[in-house]
Amino acid sequence: MKTLFPIIQMILAAAPQAMMRGAVLSVLVLLMGAALLGLSGWFITATGLAGIAGLGIAFDVFRPSAGVRFLALGRTAARYGEHVFTHDATLRALAFLRVRLLRRQVWLDSRALSRLRSEAVLTRIIADVDALDGVVLRLLLPAVAALATHLIVFLAIGWLAGWAIACALLAGYIPLAILIFWQLARRSIKPSDRAEKESQSLRRGVIDMIRNRQSLILDARLDDREADLLSLDGNIRKAAQQLDRAERGAALAITMLVTLVTACALGLGGWLVAQGVMGPAVGVIGIFVALALAETLMPLRRGIADYGKMAGAAKRIGYGEKEKPEKSKPKSPLCHENAGASPPVLAVRKAPLTFIIEPGEAVALTGASGSGKTSLLMEIAGLAESSGIAILGRAPADWPDSSLRDLVTMVPQRSVLLAGTIRENFNLAADVPESALWQALAAISLDAVIRERGGLDAPLGEAGAGLSGGQAQRLALARAIIRQPQLLLLDEPTEGLDEATADRVLSGIRRALPQTAILATLHRNANHPMFDRQIPLLL
Amino acid sequence: MARQRRQDTSSVRPARGTGITAPIAHALRFAGLLSVLAGLIWPIQAAALAWAIAGWIAGDMGRTPWAAAIFVAGGFLRAFCDHRAGQILFDAADQTISHQRAALITREARARAPLGSAEIAALIVQKLPLLQPWITRYSIAMIKVAVLPLVLLLISFWFSWIVGLVLLVAGPLIPVFMILIGMAAEQASRRQMDEIGSMNAMVMDRLSAMLDIRLLGAADKALADFSDRAEALRIKTMAVLRIAFLSSTVLELFSAIGVAMVAVFVGFTLLGEITFGSWSAPLSLGEGLFLLLIAPDFFQPFRELAAAWHDRAAGLSVLAELDALDGAERAPFLGEARAARPLDGPLTLSLAGVVAALPGRRVTLPDFSLKRGQSLALIGESGAGKSTGLAALAGLVPLADGQITVCGHRLDHETADAWRARIALVPQRPHFPDQPLYAWLDPDKRHTDPWPALKRAEVDQVVLRLPYGLRTRLGETGGGVSGGEARRLMIARAILSGRELILADEPTADLDPDTAAMIIRALMHLKENGHSVIVATHDPDLAALMDRRVEVGQ
Repeated sequence: MKTLFPIIQMILAAAPQAMMRGAVLSVLVLLMGAALLGLSGWFITATGLAGIAGLGIAFDVFRPSAGVRFLALGRTAARYGEHVFTHDATLRALAFLRVRLLRRQVWLDSRALSRLRSEAVLTRIIADVDALDGVVLRLLLPAVAALATHLIVFLAIGWLAGWAIACALLAGYIPLAILIFWQLARRSIKPSDRAEKESQSLRRGVIDMIRNRQSLILDARLDDREADLLSLDGNIRKAAQQLDRAERGAALAITMLVTLVTACALGLGGWLVAQGVMGPAVGVIGIFVALALAETLMPLRRGIADYGKMAGAAKRIGYGEKEKPEKSKPKSPLCHENAGASPPVLAVRKAPLTFIIEPGEAVALTGASGSGKTSLLMEIAGLAESSGIAILGRAPADWPDSSLRDLVTMVPQRSVLLAGTIRENFNLAADVPESALWQALAAISLDAVIRERGGLDAPLGEAGAGLSGGQAQRLALARAIIRQPQLLLLDEPTEGLDEATADRVLSGIRRALPQTAILATLHRNANHPMFDRQIPLLL
Repeated sequence: MARQRRQDTSSVRPARGTGITAPIAHALRFAGLLSVLAGLIWPIQAAALAWAIAGWIAGDMGRTPWAAAIFVAGGFLRAFCDHRAGQILFDAADQTISHQRAALITREARARAPLGSAEIAALIVQKLPLLQPWITRYSIAMIKVAVLPLVLLLISFWFSWIVGLVLLVAGPLIPVFMILIGMAAEQASRRQMDEIGSMNAMVMDRLSAMLDIRLLGAADKALADFSDRAEALRIKTMAVLRIAFLSSTVLELFSAIGVAMVAVFVGFTLLGEITFGSWSAPLSLGEGLFLLLIAPDFFQPFRELAAAWHDRAAGLSVLAELDALDGAERAPFLGEARAARPLDGPLTLSLAGVVAALPGRRVTLPDFSLKRGQSLALIGESGAGKSTGLAALAGLVPLADGQITVCGHRLDHETADAWRARIALVPQRPHFPDQPLYAWLDPDKRHTDPWPALKRAEVDQVVLRLPYGLRTRLGETGGGVSGGEARRLMIARAILSGRELILADEPTADLDPDTAAMIIRALMHLKENGHSVIVATHDPDLAALMDRRVEVGQ
């Protein structure tokens, strides 16, 4: 349960009112259901007694029958309200969970952020959040409502039909139901974990097999691969079978429990009636209420069977942890030797690499792929641990994040655009007048393309679908231009562009940002006139 | 796309629906029988309770222990019937899902359909299990709804025509409402699935762009924007759900009113205020209680069916996807991809009038031939069919026309496996399976020293730099190595395999000149050592180094 607490707290805090209303109505529905059956049973028995005694006319039929009708209608209305409120609460919790999830990812390092672009990682995260959607609505709320209903019923029955029957109902249901559900939750953990792990392997395995099919066919390994995947399927089935067995076992136990408690209420009621402690009509109430209380337990079963899945998801997503890592280091204002002079925009001292860049300078960083160009840019941008780097005299880690973002803008390789309009993608970067947007687009010669597509409000699909790779890359460059940074880091800005476009784009950036210090990694176009210097990065 | 598909299923029931459950029809019937049996035990239990309570008033307290015993025995029997039925249903669903899964696993890599590998993986892993609730809940709810209400109705009529009438009036209305509710519930669940779907799409979109968002310092802005959108989505969805729930409330209302009317009617009859409604003698207390106890169960199967409705919708949408995949045009390869003795004789290859058959497309390949130790470049525009040409040479795509002759044999289902044992392929985007590098380099477990080959492909330094050297798992995206390095690793693997014909697809595309030069050196070295090399390329430098150039797409 411990793993789920932070999530429960969080969701409850997200929509306390909606949750409260949903919970109250859930209890109301269960109570009215119990009351309806109890009252009906009492009414029929009492009228039967009155009929036998010939008291037909004297019997007050109005109030009980009105009560039955009220409960019938009231229960229906409460059920409707419960549906609406709990769904409202679910949707709020859904959004809230996802916002929190996104907020947590913001502060990951560059490596983890790059991993987020992998479809497998994304699918996994989404599946986990989906599993957590049910924590409150399928687990907590029904459990709380069931407990509350049992307690209220205990008090009501104690008052109406005596404490003996009330105690029998409470003592019969609560401890054993808790035991059954606790067992179910416990038994669901291992198979859920295994099913999840094996499913991920199967998913990866299928993708591997299909993408790798040519190699597998050439190596004559396709049969082996298929056999591996089928055995994974076998493991998943075994885990699912265990889960199903646990759930069905719990259902069996609950049905038997309801039967026993009802039989107990019957026996106890009969004994009390025989002793003359209470009349038959009152004695009946316990039996009918015992039956009605089954409704509090059955719906819980499925939620609790998912406990293992939810706990696993909670563990992986780790909502319990802090969102933003606190920096313990004291903020050293200057780590530059000659503190007197104004420090350069960027100074890198990582033996054997030493260079500084002043405002208005542009430097091309070259080197074979894998030599660490991207890593260096990420370090400068403050997204990776670094040493020997100073921006305006301060290490990236010592800058407050917002100031660093204002100073430095980086355009990563294969930038990802958001689904939405082109304007929305720009607005993410900065609020600037429309003319500035067009200027930026003109700088990277994308204005004509955008105009053709219907202007700034033309919609883009997911991950910028609708633009070619090169166009999306250029749009990301334009987005960086409107931020007017002091230091601009470009990772392979000309990748996917033809020679002529690459030339225009590089010159355009320089013209649009004359005072900006620019550091770009390139494996071609490094001798473009835009660059003042080339610095080779060697292994 | 997904939304479109889901909508389609609501109107058209896919043909596969009946076929997929045919092998388990017997099990479903048996489980249905058990469930109905369990449902029929309840009237007996109810009768025992009513009989005992009537005894309290008649002063016959001796009935109570017997009634309690019958009630418990009935309850346990009911629980066991349901338990057993559940097991049969689970096994039936499990069998169906595993059958479908096995069919997909053994088909999708052999004959590719035009569907992404991630989508197929999602279908196999996440969507197929949605068939489970459809099979276990919906089908059983259908059987129960067909039998149990009718039986309970007849029992009610037996005792009191007016109670029967109350249920009957509520009864025929229920199918009408079921249609409404079914539609509403389907709409509601679809609406909610859509909501979650679009919310998840939004999350994925933002997660994958998170690096950019962070670098732009736009995290707060992006999150606020996301919250706003989610809120707007919630308000819109709730507006629809409020109406959808109204119609499902109707079922609730009927069942509550039905029970209330039975209770009030029985009470008034017992008082003697109502003297009609029962057959001859006035209704007894026991009969009245009995009727009250079975009335809720008259409505129960309808409620179960309503609850199972969205399981049906989910199940049918999976079936529709399976059907679409079944109907997709596919390109199977030649042979069976089983280990075979390499084809005998010196290596020769010739094409005559070959037309490769891709799904929805035909690619005509030029005639050419190749002998041992020769090299050749397939050149041509992007999309002209160079890669298809390489695949055809390896027997990976079927031919619509013409003939490929390899080592004196026609390349067909019989010879393809043996021919492929002599070929190594270097794809443009190598994909690394989730296994250690040393195992991947040596698929046949011959335990040859890989370092000479790695050195030859000029990739030894790269391997040394990897965090775990040869034990590194490169995994899905080849994380840790660049595109050029991945291709050099592929070349090293080709050298290690000792296979004579090297097929390389765009080996120098998107590479800086230094890396491209390394690849070319490695390929030329292979050729000097007696390998035959065929490259598909638009790199003129590479093409110029080959013995011959053949243009594809003329």
